[in-house]
Amino acid sequence: MKTDEFNIVLSGVGGQGTLLVAEVLGTAAIKEGLNVRVSEIHGMAQRGGAVVSTVRIGEKVQAPTVLEGQADVLVGFEPIETVRSLRFASEKTAVLMSDERIFPSELAAKKMTYPDMKDIVEKIHRFTGKIIIVETEKLAREAGSTLTQNIVLLGALAATEKVPIKNESLIEAIQELVPAKHVGMNVKAFKLGYEYVKKMKVQA
Amino acid sequence: MPNLRVLLEDKPEKRVLLLGNEAIARGALEAGIGVVTTYPGTPASEIADSISEIAADAGLYMEYSINEIVAVEVAAGAASCGVRALTAMKHVGLNVASDMLMTLAYAGVRGGYVIVTADDPECYSSQNEQDNRFYALLSNLPCLEPSNPQEAKDMTITAIEISEKLELPVLLRTTTRVSHTRGPVTYGRLATPNLKGKFVKDVKRLVMVPANSRPKHEVLLRAMERAKEISETSPHNKVVRTSKSKELGIVSSSSAYNYAVEAADLLGLDASILKLGMTHPLPEKMIGEYLKKHQKVIIVEELEPYLEMQIKAIAKDKAPDVDIYGKMSKRYFPKEGELSTRVVAKGLADITGKGLPIDFSEIKEKYDEVSKNLPARPPILCAGCPHRASFYDMRKVVGEKTIFATDIGCYALGIAPPLNVGDIMICMGASIGTAQGISRVTDENTIAIIGDSTFFHAGIPGLINAVYNNHKVVVAVLDNLTTAMTGHQPHPGTGVTGMQSASEKVLIEKIADGCGVKYVRVVDPFKVSETETALKEALQNQGPSVLVFRAPCALVAVREKRSKGIRIEAYKITDKCTNCMACIRLLGCPALTVEEGKVNIDEALCTACGLCISVCPFKAIGGST
Repeated sequence: MKTDEFNIVLSGVGGQGTLLVAEVLGTAAIKEGLNVRVSEIHGMAQRGGAVVSTVRIGEKVQAPTVLEGQADVLVGFEPIETVRSLRFASEKTAVLMSDERIFPSELAAKKMTYPDMKDIVEKIHRFTGKIIIVETEKLAREAGSTLTQNIVLLGALAATEKVPIKNESLIEAIQELVPAKHVGMNVKAFKLGYEYVKKMKVQA
Repeated sequence: MPNLRVLLEDKPEKRVLLLGNEAIARGALEAGIGVVTTYPGTPASEIADSISEIAADAGLYMEYSINEIVAVEVAAGAASCGVRALTAMKHVGLNVASDMLMTLAYAGVRGGYVIVTADDPECYSSQNEQDNRFYALLSNLPCLEPSNPQEAKDMTITAIEISEKLELPVLLRTTTRVSHTRGPVTYGRLATPNLKGKFVKDVKRLVMVPANSRPKHEVLLRAMERAKEISETSPHNKVVRTSKSKELGIVSSSSAYNYAVEAADLLGLDASILKLGMTHPLPEKMIGEYLKKHQKVIIVEELEPYLEMQIKAIAKDKAPDVDIYGKMSKRYFPKEGELSTRVVAKGLADITGKGLPIDFSEIKEKYDEVSKNLPARPPILCAGCPHRASFYDMRKVVGEKTIFATDIGCYALGIAPPLNVGDIMICMGASIGTAQGISRVTDENTIAIIGDSTFFHAGIPGLINAVYNNHKVVVAVLDNLTTAMTGHQPHPGTGVTGMQSASEKVLIEKIADGCGVKYVRVVDPFKVSETETALKEALQNQGPSVLVFRAPCALVAVREKRSKGIRIEAYKITDKCTNCMACIRLLGCPALTVEEGKVNIDEALCTACGLCISVCPFKAIGGST
């Protein structure tokens, strides 16, 4: 699928596997002969801290990072981190968010509570009406491990039919990048995420 | 992570997604490099890490050197024997290696030698954001600046070619956004690495005593005249876009170039673009001609006005009428932090008077509102991290008192509450020295905090100084048996080399003993009372003492257990818990959370390190069985 510029922002917490999803998307884009840039942050920025990875696909793409307001899709691996990356969103952005909360240690230390999910959704709505919440933990458990929540989200992302990459290329990339013994579980996670959003769309 | 064996495929024209750093590793393989050395440092680490994975199969030699200057020394030794070599390091690593660099420029090399310096604008993982292009000016060595992974690979090969032609080391300068960007890379042919060198004695050339250095300085300057000719015709310096009106030109390099192109498009500017890939020496004639053809020229570059200074000097001679915009006389672009398409577009808009098509201030205003009270999530010590135990033990003994001079590594994260360990931190190894100065002029206890790899890198001279000058300091070496922060590379204490073969384990306690430290103890930080006793004794000591806090990095320990199929049974909060919050207040462990006023253990994060058990006054934390 030819495109000038398609921007994906992946926002989460270090250790959630945002980098793997970014790499799967990048690898799949290469399989389809597309131009792509993936940005990553390593080292100090990773230790349980907030992490943002971006994937940009298209002929015109040069820089790895996404301009404010220009995400086509914002994939939030965690609700607070989804809000933190809203600067990349605008009315054109589809937000895909995991409902899996990871408590920042600041909460306990400062006796704060985790923000209400209703407030989080309201905040997202100030930028865009297109929001899908995915029960990633439940689906990942079903796939065989809660560690596959990232791939559940990738499946959900594929189901939105916005990303200019075919499912087969994404699955092939998963097979290449995930250790052989975990491939089955991850492909299942992909499918569960995919079906979850498809079903939701039918209901809607 | 990808299977790095893809780097070994001899399939010219194959198109692969590679990280900028992996692309440099591939470039090394295509250039027939025989020796690769490094000291790990973000954002450079994956260059040599990738090579380490495949070195034996590729038939080349790779090593994790003790620090950057030794890395350059080893590689330069090999290159002086005609073997092609590469050394990779982060920007501040070149400060460490600079003594070698400055005079190696005089002595030169026989085999091609490329030194990769990965700069870190925005300090994503660094203590400063210095612009290492100035090292090219300072040392008088050629410098190449790729802007994406493809160029990173290609320029590694170019750097080796230039190096061999001029018999000089060549700098390859990346930034975080080049090193840590994945993009398509089209392969060339693999070369067979040559590992066999020959040392030809030549005292005048290689022994830099004054009588030899003086003429060699001149030789260097002459070589750089030839480098200028190479730069004039280099395919890496080229006008990539022409304009219709010929009024406006943009000159850019490295990651800034990507933003410049996209920002110019965003504004719909009719501008030509001169992309510079070889930025030392600059192609003066080419730039002079380019300036003459335009009325206005905008220089877009990250960090210092390195290009702007030189281009303004060129303009004075060759095109005095052209108006040059950048960050010197008026700051259209910032000197600090990394650039972005937004920042560059703003600068271009200010210079050209074109309006921005996106209202960024509106986005910012809305974003500031929604993110106002959002809990912060800075990087923290992992659950089960032995450093947390070490810091808890120290706080238990010294309370709020004591000055902690800390160092570069994961343990710098100890500055976060509730541990608050870390009062001064400057550069690799500085903890031990700064602690001595503080101890000398204050009445306070001073503890130097330093990691195992950092101790080997730069801690030992400071330790000898403490013994020699009898400074009353406690040197706490937090030995987690790996170089954790940069991706778990081995070091002399691990008994494993970059070739992934076994070697002699160098023991920190033996080094301390050998340096003449009278009080040396090794403790397990998870054994709180034993550690307390040792620390109290160390603090009583009137001279220097060394405590090695030894326990493996939790990430490595958990990974090893998982690979052996050992299940980690997370601890549980029992009904004895009174929610006194002692564990929360004292440890700041990410596995300990508070949900609806109750303490909870996140079983996905808990590594069963047991530190919280030692802390709990009600014995309310236990195993699941």
